[in-house]
Amino acid sequence: MSRKISYKDAINEALSQEMERDKSVIVMGLDNAGGRGTEGEKDAWGGVLGVTKGLYGKYGDRVMDTPISEAAYIGSAVGAAACGMRPVVEMMFVDFLGVCFDQMMNQAAKFRYMFGGKSVTPVVMRTMYGGGFRAAAQHSQVLYSILAHIPGLKVVVPSTPYDAKGLLIECIRDNDPVIFLEHKALYGMKGEVPEESYTIPFGQANIVREGKDLTIVALGRMVHMASQAAASLAKTGVEVEVIDPRTISPIDWATILKSVEKTGKLVVVDEANPRCSMATDISAKVVQEAFKALTAPIKMVTAPHTPPPFSDVLEDLYIPNAAKIEAAVRSIL
Amino acid sequence: MSELKKEDLLKAYRIMKEIREFEERLHVEFATGKIPGFVHLYAGEEAVATGVCMHLTDQDRISSTHRGHGHCIAKGVDIIGMMAEIYGKKTGTCCGKGGSMHIADLEKGMLGANGIVGAGPPLVCGAALASKFKGTDGVGVAFFGDGASNQGTVLESMNLANVWNLPVIFLAENNGYAESTGVKYNVPTPNIADRAAGFGMPGVTVDGNDFFAVYEAAGVAIRRAREGGGPTLLECKTNRFFGHFEGDAMTYKAPGEVKRQREENDCLKIFSAKVISAGLVTAAELEAIDKEVAALINEAVAKAVAAPKPTEADLLTDVYVSY
Amino acid sequence: MVLLPLDKAFIEPFSGMRCALIVVKKNKSIVFMANMKSMRQTKPSVGILVNPASGRDLRRLVAKASVFQNTEKCNMVYRLLGALGVMGVGEVFMMPDVAGVACHIRHSLQHGRHGNPDLMPAVHFLEMPIEDSPVDTLRAIELMVSRGVSVIVVMGGDGTHRLVAKKSGAVPLVTLSTGTNNAFPEIREATVAGLAAGLVAMEKVALSDVCLRNKILHLDKNGVIKDVALVDICLTSVCWVGTKAIWQVECLKELFVTFAESDAVGLSSIAGLVRPVSRCSPYGLRLKLVPPGEGMMTVTAPIAPGLMAPVGIASMKEIRRMEVQTIESTSGTIALDGEREIEFGENDRLKVWLETNGPVIVNISKALDQAVKNRVFVEFQMQEHCFDLGNGKESAHSIDGGRSN
Repeated sequence: MSRKISYKDAINEALSQEMERDKSVIVMGLDNAGGRGTEGEKDAWGGVLGVTKGLYGKYGDRVMDTPISEAAYIGSAVGAAACGMRPVVEMMFVDFLGVCFDQMMNQAAKFRYMFGGKSVTPVVMRTMYGGGFRAAAQHSQVLYSILAHIPGLKVVVPSTPYDAKGLLIECIRDNDPVIFLEHKALYGMKGEVPEESYTIPFGQANIVREGKDLTIVALGRMVHMASQAAASLAKTGVEVEVIDPRTISPIDWATILKSVEKTGKLVVVDEANPRCSMATDISAKVVQEAFKALTAPIKMVTAPHTPPPFSDVLEDLYIPNAAKIEAAVRSIL
Repeated sequence: MSELKKEDLLKAYRIMKEIREFEERLHVEFATGKIPGFVHLYAGEEAVATGVCMHLTDQDRISSTHRGHGHCIAKGVDIIGMMAEIYGKKTGTCCGKGGSMHIADLEKGMLGANGIVGAGPPLVCGAALASKFKGTDGVGVAFFGDGASNQGTVLESMNLANVWNLPVIFLAENNGYAESTGVKYNVPTPNIADRAAGFGMPGVTVDGNDFFAVYEAAGVAIRRAREGGGPTLLECKTNRFFGHFEGDAMTYKAPGEVKRQREENDCLKIFSAKVISAGLVTAAELEAIDKEVAALINEAVAKAVAAPKPTEADLLTDVYVSY
Repeated sequence: MVLLPLDKAFIEPFSGMRCALIVVKKNKSIVFMANMKSMRQTKPSVGILVNPASGRDLRRLVAKASVFQNTEKCNMVYRLLGALGVMGVGEVFMMPDVAGVACHIRHSLQHGRHGNPDLMPAVHFLEMPIEDSPVDTLRAIELMVSRGVSVIVVMGGDGTHRLVAKKSGAVPLVTLSTGTNNAFPEIREATVAGLAAGLVAMEKVALSDVCLRNKILHLDKNGVIKDVALVDICLTSVCWVGTKAIWQVECLKELFVTFAESDAVGLSSIAGLVRPVSRCSPYGLRLKLVPPGEGMMTVTAPIAPGLMAPVGIASMKEIRRMEVQTIESTSGTIALDGEREIEFGENDRLKVWLETNGPVIVNISKALDQAVKNRVFVEFQMQEHCFDLGNGKESAHSIDGGRSN
């Protein structure tokens, strides 16, 4: 396993391999090919950041550009899924959730339950999240906790190219509606990714780094911040265990609880706002299930309870970083 | 107009009558307090669901509304199961987990009644898209009301269906009321069909109380969609005999309005009069259907009342296929 | 154009104001309007009937007709009102409806969306029950006639005009197409139609010069059901009235026309492309129709907008006024002016005959030509003889041209 490709290319490869394997897989979203209805290049964009670039050339009309009508086209992906297709629909930024939430929350998520188990809705919604691009309050949010709150949805937050490919293939083959969240700052990150197709099961956390002194649970891009902090702490003899849950619905409670039972200390790192978040959710679970193992208060390293700011100075303060994580760790050692 | 044979006329009457009896009976049963939750009755609008669904097969998909019983029956969903569902019983179409507003039967091409006004059209676009990819000639019909005609999802779907040239019929059931608010207030141009022009598709208004008008128009629109001709907006003007929900005293309706509609604009009466006077069907044949339908609804209620409720174990099942 | 006999009331000579006098001075219409208003002695009233249902039947699907949106009908009413106000019409009576036209107009006028309401006629919606059916049109026209309107502007298709004609009697109609088949009403800019209506209402043109009494077809079913058609009656083999639209030519059995123009669209074009009959010829036609390729000839005609279809003609004959035509047919529907309206069975006896006492129609072009002759639209600041305006016919000189002389 020596080939290194980017997070973005890993996603593209997963889509391509699944489209090749299964004709019922279709891809749709704003500019997913790009250039339709113009005199210029077709497949001009491949999505706003080029994630789906090249698929149109290979799969033609199975890559569908959509009007800027998230409610309609995401709803139509849900409807197509209920009728035997496996659509992978892209919502450009998770911040746009507000205009189409009903189709995920009240339709896709609830069909199976409302219909007494007599339906499957294998739709995948890919969406970009996270800060660091100076994209301000409506293009930088981390809203996965809202999605994880909804029974019926599965929520996947890959942090590496390897996980991105394996988890996306799993998403496409899964028979439930899944939201696949891609951190926009990770697209360029390279990592080892097998050329062949493979899957990573949901609800199976990755222990990124083993340690005995403290557990850090981090999500998405924060996994890398946590690893950085752990490396720094290791130099001073502190052995931190870093856990990447990879999927937050379902979530691998067993691995998290087992780790906390071993270390007795927990820091949760989440780029999202702190209230009613994955950070509070994980903290609450650990308190309920592993209270006796805890030897220190749980610490949360998150964005503050504000919208994402625009100015670089402010955004750098807003997003959790390795220094803040390290400080949080040290505060409970 | 494809010729309606005698058996088609009898079938149409039976479906309309089943819907009517189902709803009239629910009205009575709801008042006794035996039915939980919200119930929205379709009585008065039977010719619409029937006139449209007579053209559809199981591979054609429809989405419905909160007022969905009529669409379900017309699309062939089992009436015994529906009644049990509305009673919240385990033997219901959705095992008692959906209720009146969520009856669905995907094998029958019924994508569900829907508690969210305007949620259906995007789903039907997807169903139609699936038909296109699967290479069937299946069409999708999105039933929605005059109230839903103001939802972004409905208008966005009209645009999407035309952009993608999907085999979709947007079936506006204009019963004049969005809950308690008149269409005159809610819609600046109360002919919903007018909106078709903005999306470059045909818009047609027909008398939704005349089965023959609905049947004919829907037939043309559906055939056109099957042949790749694209979407149509078909508006059926009709009446709602009961309130928005059961328990609605309908004080917003003019005195005598419903009485007059029942006397002069009842789609079943209009249908019976036409087919009998044309000499195609006898009154006795229709009466025989009436009796069979009454017996069926009685059976459905009796079975629903007697059926078991879901158990605690059912609470946690069927959230996911796997989790 | 030959004028068919008019009721006496309508041939009363125009009172004559040949040297009237108004000009759009400084290009400001307000001046123009104020002048006009100062001229008039009384404020006659005009009826405007808008069919809120026209222009959205099945022919949008089976042919290539387009939706005639009610917002556009409302806009046409505003244009009419502006022109009528300028002409000095004081009051307009309109039909109420539940389909939003009345509501839209009331709302707009209340909020002054279309300019100063003082410069428009007062709009009254008739007090009548609304059934959202053709009955409304009949009732509204009756009421307009009883209110003594001088002219009625009708906005609808052939079907609407047919209903209006049943009740309009001798009141002249200005016809505006907002429907599908436009054999009867004209496709016209409403402003100009409003001017024509205003000219008639204000008696600035002679009715005898600008009006035509249309022919009409009568239908009798078993001596019980009686109805009329302004353009055509067609027997079809389709069993049900249904959506009313006609597009399958194989269902057409017989066709009666009052007139048939070569540039018409609709069923009358079947005759119009073979043997045109003008609106004023004292006869109509009866055609027996058969599948294409059969009979004596096949004609390919625009039976609906965008729908060209071959139709076989087995026979064709003139029908004269009051000649009763009996019909033998098994069962089907009768289409009046292009819309299936009446179902019949094998035991029904059907009769059709032509009459020449149909509705009185204002010829908009003639009305305006006449007004030009009568100098209705100009006011002279200098003595008239300084200008050579011809005789109201095509003028070689504009007013400015006259000044430069």
